[in-house]
Amino acid sequence: MTGGDALRRVLPVLAALAVTAAPLALHLPGWVAALSAAMLLARGVLLWQQRQLPPRWLVALAVVVPLVLLWLTLRTLVGREGGSALLLLLVGFKAFETFSLRDWRVLLALGFFLAATPLLFDQSPLAAAWLVQSLLCLTWAMAALNGRQPLLASLRTTLQALLFSLPLMLVLFVVMPRLPGPLWGMPAADESANSGLAEDMAPGSISQLILNHEPVFTAVFAGPPPPRRDFYWRVMLFDRFDGSRWLNAGALTEPRGQTRGGIPVSYTLTVVPDKGRVPVLDLPGGVAEGLTERAGMVWQQARASDARIRFRADSRAGALLVEPLDAMQHAFYRFLPAGNERALALAASIRARSRDDEAYIRAVLEHFRLESFRYTLSPPPLSGAIVDQFLFETRQGFCEHYASALAFLARAAGIPSRVVVGYQGGEYNSAGEFWQIRSSDAHAWVEVWLASRQAWWRVDPTAAVSPDRIERGVEQAVPAARTAMPMLGGRPPEWMLALRQHWLAANFAWQQWVVGYDAGRQRSLFRSLGLGQEVDVPAVLKGLLAGAVLMVMPFLWWWRQQAKREPLQQGWLLLGRRLRRVEVVIAPSDTPAEVLLRAASLAEAEHGQLAALLEAYACLRYRTSGEASPEAVRCWLRAVRCFRPGRAMNGKTPAGRG
Amino acid sequence: MRFRNRLQAWLIRRQPESTEWTLRQQRIYLLPTTFGWTLLGVALAIWVGALNYAVSLAYALSFWIIGLLLVSVLMAYRQLAGLTLQAGAADPVFAGETAHFEVRLDNPSAWPRTLQGHLAGRAERAVGCQLPSRSSTWLSLPMTAEKRGLQAMPALALSSDVPFGLIRAFAYVRLREHVLVYPAPLRDGLRHGQGASGEGEAVLPAGEDEFSHLAAYRDGDTSRQIAWKVLARRDVLASKQFTGATAAGCRLLDWHDYPPGQGVESRLSWLAWRVLECERERCCYRLRLPGVEVGPQPHQRERALALLARFGALS
Repeated sequence: MTGGDALRRVLPVLAALAVTAAPLALHLPGWVAALSAAMLLARGVLLWQQRQLPPRWLVALAVVVPLVLLWLTLRTLVGREGGSALLLLLVGFKAFETFSLRDWRVLLALGFFLAATPLLFDQSPLAAAWLVQSLLCLTWAMAALNGRQPLLASLRTTLQALLFSLPLMLVLFVVMPRLPGPLWGMPAADESANSGLAEDMAPGSISQLILNHEPVFTAVFAGPPPPRRDFYWRVMLFDRFDGSRWLNAGALTEPRGQTRGGIPVSYTLTVVPDKGRVPVLDLPGGVAEGLTERAGMVWQQARASDARIRFRADSRAGALLVEPLDAMQHAFYRFLPAGNERALALAASIRARSRDDEAYIRAVLEHFRLESFRYTLSPPPLSGAIVDQFLFETRQGFCEHYASALAFLARAAGIPSRVVVGYQGGEYNSAGEFWQIRSSDAHAWVEVWLASRQAWWRVDPTAAVSPDRIERGVEQAVPAARTAMPMLGGRPPEWMLALRQHWLAANFAWQQWVVGYDAGRQRSLFRSLGLGQEVDVPAVLKGLLAGAVLMVMPFLWWWRQQAKREPLQQGWLLLGRRLRRVEVVIAPSDTPAEVLLRAASLAEAEHGQLAALLEAYACLRYRTSGEASPEAVRCWLRAVRCFRPGRAMNGKTPAGRG
Repeated sequence: MRFRNRLQAWLIRRQPESTEWTLRQQRIYLLPTTFGWTLLGVALAIWVGALNYAVSLAYALSFWIIGLLLVSVLMAYRQLAGLTLQAGAADPVFAGETAHFEVRLDNPSAWPRTLQGHLAGRAERAVGCQLPSRSSTWLSLPMTAEKRGLQAMPALALSSDVPFGLIRAFAYVRLREHVLVYPAPLRDGLRHGQGASGEGEAVLPAGEDEFSHLAAYRDGDTSRQIAWKVLARRDVLASKQFTGATAAGCRLLDWHDYPPGQGVESRLSWLAWRVLECERERCCYRLRLPGVEVGPQPHQRERALALLARFGALS
């Protein structure tokens, strides 16, 4: 393959590879992407200038260096990052030893494989759009490489082929069975990637999240949702205070809690687990498949992965968590480190005024409400005796300040307490009929153990200070948390909010039906389509059969379109059909003049029209020289379509009556 | 390879012979090319990866590639389906030269076609051709003529891997077409060129200027030879040929010029050369083979050479 023709055939291959590999630049070490891009470019330049390729042994030798470098960077050549980087580098080097058509085809086949690798990192609608573009480029390059058509004609063919294979793809996508689990080891969850809740709770750890509007998870309720004040999604439990932070000491190793009371709600949650942790509505019933329940009714994945999961859960909104505590646990949940004397004194004074534990807690909340505490996103920094400082000096804080203070004061009064961190609230998306919970909904509240009920009681001190936060969301309670317009500031206009809602809804549907189309979803779809109870061979065959009809449709349309008769003949046949409607029957052998004779029964005006049409037909069909101009033929065909002998008559009759 | 040849031979044997064919599904075969198999492998690899990593979009990619392969089957099929082939004529050639079988291809459909033709079981390069919608073209298939005589056209293999090179559609067609291969001329200086005086070549006595026939005018013909009446009547330049018009009289190219020990093919080749030589010199000659003779007449060259080409096949 040499010369200009070869250039025209081969350059598209390189370009398609570059387009396909482009999204990998976002996910792989920068030098890998840069090197591969440079290699493809260099290969293109060599082609352009029709220079010799470097000898094979040199290429083979040169490939060792980046591979070693890759090993040093990633410490692996397999898995998601390692595998994709390796493939990308190999494609770059393979481009340097392409001589024959066969070599180029191997390279192009590798390109198709390469198109799959960005999907390991990102499956957003944008990634899908890029995938379609890559596929288009690769297929076009394939047609160009075959080199039997001009570039533009091959683009047409490519679009046609992709369009026709689309229904095939869709049917196979829906019908081909999915596996419930991996074939071999899954890539481990990426520990470094963490945008969720922190491992501990110190002042300021949640307020940072509030400014982040990233969606965290979505929930779809099977029935009516619980009242907004019960929208507490628990994720983590902090049961030990070390003077500056709340931590999870994991004292209780066995989940022994039970729920009492509350409204049963059933919902489906879609979430990317954060280090295996998944949110669950306060308080959950039985644990969902693939998840385990930890002490304090928080859920965790059985095996941590960073793939998006979806599960069904049942909760009882507003229920009590009944859990008897033994003496040791009782002591553990009352433990406080030394310090914060003023807070201890405050606790003692309130305790003295209170009848029982419950009254004490209410009194503390009352204290928060009546004293000039402020709910703010940017409280003054605290250090040292943080509870004292907050309670008596700054008096400005966010949910974690209040939760921390309340849990402290409860323990100070001898009431077991712990801090629960999770999310509160959510935004209902009416377009997609789901609830979207974002980072900005992160929240911390307190559970105190009441000996009288032998149960944990949820107390949200933030509600005492800022009821709006609970009832209407953080954006209403704290102006700073409102979604700001990037440039102008202030609240975005309604239409933009609506647009955002629709985008979110589309995203949700995408996550639910495309990215999250797994074995479970497939089974439920098969059931609702009536293909079978399980995804087994007969059900799949049935699905394929049903899908075959769908797949064949575009082909039929295509074939029909191609088999279309030439316009003149088409018009002639149409004319015959129109005349048959008014009972003028034409034999196939009739000439235009004979047709006119047979149609003598027509009304005069119509007869005149027909005569004109037939004359035009004879003119076009039996011209003495040259081809009839397509424009004239089209014009005639239009006239034939307008010619409806029956209609004129039907139209006249009612008019006559009226 | 051997299997492929046998398969091809079997496929060809199944086809009857005719001067005209329309390609229908029963004679169009479709197979993936190596590239097609490779891409199928890639699609399966992506599928396995999608199964393992539960990457939904990778399923979509894998299935789309498979869909593309299936659509390619149809597209390749359409390159051949409905095509009409008609055997043309092949001009006679000398053995060792390249004969060209002409085949007329008719595309009655509204879509353009791109295909290649070559003669099955022959080493000659395939001939590509493009057919716009509703058009026809002539496909000229070269074949090196190895043997003299009337050679049948080998089965024609038409194939197309348009548009992507993933699937190859092919069809074998046996068209009833022949090419006449003259014996390869072999120089025979001994019996030629010594003129009438030479002993090697018998020269028939030159008769009177007896009119023999009309031939197309060639440069060098004298004005005396021009058939003026024909020119006046039909506006065609023709020259009258006379028996014994040449200076040397009429040469006799005889089978028996050669001693009995000489092989048939050598004799034919020598005679062919001598026919060509006489033609070149524009002299009168008679070719005499056992039982048959070609004297001066219209198209004497073709008749004489055909006689040599078919020698042995007739008797």
